[in-house]
Amino acid sequence: MSRDAKFLELIEITTKFDTLTALDKVSLTVAKGEVVCIIGPSGCGKSTLLRTVNWLAPPNAGTVRLEGQSVGQAPERRQTGRGIRALNTFRARMGMVFQQFNTWPHLTALENVTRAQVVVLGRSAAEAAERARAALCDVGLADKIDDWPEMLSGGQKQRLAIARALAMDPSLMLLDEPTSALDPELVSGVLAVLKSLAEKGMTMLIVTHELGFAAQVADRVVFMEAGRIVEEGPTSQDLHAPKTERLKDFLAKLTATQMPSAMAQKVVAHDPI
Amino acid sequence: MGLELSIFIDYGPRILVGFWLTIKIVVLAIAIGLPLGVFLALARRSRLALLRFAATAFIEVFRNTPFIIQVFLIYYVLPFYGLRLPAEQVGVLALAAFGSAYFAEVIRGGIEAMPAGQLESAHAIGMSETQAMRYVVLPQAVGVILPPLTNQMLSLIKESAILSTITVQEMTMTALRIQGETFRPFEAFIMIALLYWLLNEVVAIGMRRLERGLTRKTPRSTTLKVEGGR
Repeated sequence: MSRDAKFLELIEITTKFDTLTALDKVSLTVAKGEVVCIIGPSGCGKSTLLRTVNWLAPPNAGTVRLEGQSVGQAPERRQTGRGIRALNTFRARMGMVFQQFNTWPHLTALENVTRAQVVVLGRSAAEAAERARAALCDVGLADKIDDWPEMLSGGQKQRLAIARALAMDPSLMLLDEPTSALDPELVSGVLAVLKSLAEKGMTMLIVTHELGFAAQVADRVVFMEAGRIVEEGPTSQDLHAPKTERLKDFLAKLTATQMPSAMAQKVVAHDPI
Repeated sequence: MGLELSIFIDYGPRILVGFWLTIKIVVLAIAIGLPLGVFLALARRSRLALLRFAATAFIEVFRNTPFIIQVFLIYYVLPFYGLRLPAEQVGVLALAAFGSAYFAEVIRGGIEAMPAGQLESAHAIGMSETQAMRYVVLPQAVGVILPPLTNQMLSLIKESAILSTITVQEMTMTALRIQGETFRPFEAFIMIALLYWLLNEVVAIGMRRLERGLTRKTPRSTTLKVEGGR
């Protein structure tokens, strides 16, 4: 049980970009099957925190552990040889979805989903194709298998990127503002896919501005500001009854610009302003 | 000064022998220089500082000194260190080294023109640096790399004329000899100018075909476009 509770651990992560401290001794623990949404104003370090998990943004200090094993421990020597191979094995277990999709334009939808399965996991072409079809089906792209990413809409590209990550059978998904680059009418399709993933028990760490979505799927919401976690708690408490003034302000600003979903109205109702 | 047509007929075969040597030398130089260029481009991006430094130094030396001086240095200085190579081999090595420095920079430019997210997404899914380059970055960068790479090949072919200064019996050397024997510079040099032109056109057309063949598979617009929903 405690092993599941400490599925993913980020311990005292400090990241500096020149003189700017992007993350200041941030610690976060995620349990197996938990969905954690990270919210906060831009530049607060939430994307950097997410990118620390798979060591895409190696921190200056701190440790990341997945199921008790060290993914990275800063400051450590440059990642070479055995170190980088071990890191790549961890990365293959963490599916990452980017704001800008980063689908591979020189490969068809199917090839986008099979390539890493073959290259990284060593699956056979047939096995990879079968898994890819299932993953593309899961995200509603069963009829786009032979299309080029260029022919897909933004929402479809993002769902392709999700399928690419899912086909690796990851034990954890990292999503960096998965809907921020999408036209509003395409957001719901992507969110529906993520919601079904959450319902299947996938452990997810999501950086998002979609409060309504966070309210629906997140077990826990983490509010960050200026490189620190300011408030962290169960979703209902964080979004409906924020303890800090900072989170109250942030929620008020965000709900003022977002469509007034039922969720947002609740937040506003609780807000004194 | 009229054109003496008999010169073409009498000396044409000798020129063609020189032309054949020019072709052999540039083909070998490109065959060695291109893989070396790929290696140098990747070495410049290596995690290992020593490799990065060595590659950068090599590229900078060959890019920033005149080719004729490089040829002289290799041809006249190497024997002092006990390495005495035939002029043709020195020519091939010098051209390959010179070409690889430019090829490396063109290839590096192509790699760096790719959106950073492409390399990042390959790393995030667990690919090593080599796998990310091979399966994600380079296939896309090829469309950006080929046109300037062709340019570099054409200038390498023209630079091969410099090898006449170290007694390589290639096309320019042959023309210089014929000019000395006949005192007909115009005929001698117009012949080789046309043959250099022909060789370059053939290479340029071949490269254009290759480029079309490689990029036809995917929609053309994908090569350089940065993805984005909005």
